[in-house]
Amino acid sequence: MTFKFNYEEVVRKPNPMVEINPLKRGKGRTVNLQDRVDKLNKSAAWKKTTKLWTAMNKTFDLTRFPQVSMEPLGALDIDEDIQRELDEKHCANRIANPAVFDPALLQPVICIKTSKGKFISIDAQHTVSTVAGLIDAGLMPGVTDWKEFKFPFMYIETNNLSYARKAFSILNGKGKKKQSQYQQLRNSVFVIRIDKDRSDEDDVKVEKLVAAAESHLCFPVEEDSTLLKHPGTFSNISTFKSLSINEIDTACGWHDKYFHYEGVHVSLFFIYRDLCREFGSAKIPLSEKLQEELAAMIQKLFGNLSQFQESVTEAHRRWHEKSYGYKGSWNDDAYACALVQLYQKFGGKEKVAPTLLDRFDNLIEFFDEDIMGLAD
Amino acid sequence: MYHLYLVTSVGGRAGFGIATDYRERNKQYASHSGDIVKFSYIYGGLRTHAKAIERTIKTQFSDNIWIVDDWKTEWLKDGVTMQDLKAYVDQLLKERSFYRLTVIAEDYDFKQGLIATN
Repeated sequence: MTFKFNYEEVVRKPNPMVEINPLKRGKGRTVNLQDRVDKLNKSAAWKKTTKLWTAMNKTFDLTRFPQVSMEPLGALDIDEDIQRELDEKHCANRIANPAVFDPALLQPVICIKTSKGKFISIDAQHTVSTVAGLIDAGLMPGVTDWKEFKFPFMYIETNNLSYARKAFSILNGKGKKKQSQYQQLRNSVFVIRIDKDRSDEDDVKVEKLVAAAESHLCFPVEEDSTLLKHPGTFSNISTFKSLSINEIDTACGWHDKYFHYEGVHVSLFFIYRDLCREFGSAKIPLSEKLQEELAAMIQKLFGNLSQFQESVTEAHRRWHEKSYGYKGSWNDDAYACALVQLYQKFGGKEKVAPTLLDRFDNLIEFFDEDIMGLAD
Repeated sequence: MYHLYLVTSVGGRAGFGIATDYRERNKQYASHSGDIVKFSYIYGGLRTHAKAIERTIKTQFSDNIWIVDDWKTEWLKDGVTMQDLKAYVDQLLKERSFYRLTVIAEDYDFKQGLIATN
């Protein structure tokens, strides 16, 4: 049986992302707070909220406004029912990491001040523990007693510990707008590209990954971004970051060569992660011919990786139920295994990693009949 | 065989969708709108390819989608015609010649029954 499919070229069009890629450079623009107030005033959601305040007769209570002062670290207590256990490794490896530690990046302690004058920490115990520990270790010149060292405290005066508990919850996630995976990636890229600061190895690695993707016209963008309409874009940042630079280079190179007219589907990263690793372990080259034939098969059977993902997910669901008698959860390892097994089913002759053939036994028999019928 | 259809609403708005049973789907449109609704074009072919084209309309043709509040419908916004949509789909099929989809019916409604195909 000879391999059934030939890849069909699709005319390449200029990709607008080359010019509008938000990671190419920062906006280079600073706005004042008035710009943000103007934006709020134009927002329907904001107007609705301010109307609600008026309707509820609610006003900004200045007596609840936090105070800021410099206080000795010895005045601070930590309520273990409010704050988490101290993570010593976090203090040692992240905050006090000598390669990146900078006092300018320290945050004030957020706390309450009780009527007895005691400060109880709500947030930043790891920061102050680290600072106190560094003084204790004799690493702050001219300061010997951490208890006397004054640190910025931000607090409200209350005896109500439930306030502290709620505040801890808000400051550590609940109610706070979290940084998205994309925003974190963008920060890393801009630290390198705009600030030219290569001191953090994580930032350096992330920028290299992005550069490798961009060199093949693949572009990370924010989830739900309008830019996702352009070819080469993707928003699954965590999976992207889990691959090595070589794996991203190979995956995105394949996408750009054969599917430059499509968005990048997340299955691309899982497939290439496993192809690179399994072929690498078996010391089998991932040949150009194999990669072209895989592209041809995806075109002819599924149209694109998005439809391959739908089909393989459904096949896996049926396979699991038939094999084990109950519904199982999806396994990302099935992408590459199914692809390589389909390749052989349709007459592919290139050498493949054997470890991709003996898992998910008979999975491909559970693909739709209209797909498998094309093998006859 | 699976189907991608391009639908014209009673008011003349262009839309699109996918279905295994296009006759049943056309009946549902009629039932909702209280009138005969025409599938201006029905393309038949491989399920995965029909779905891939529909997905491409939703993403790469997204500037032309009719959005109601924040809901992205399967209809096109004012000013984008059935001719525009048909031209876009045909352009896709021409550029991506591996798609196995062809027009099997035009100006269809359920009263015509099922279309004979080879």
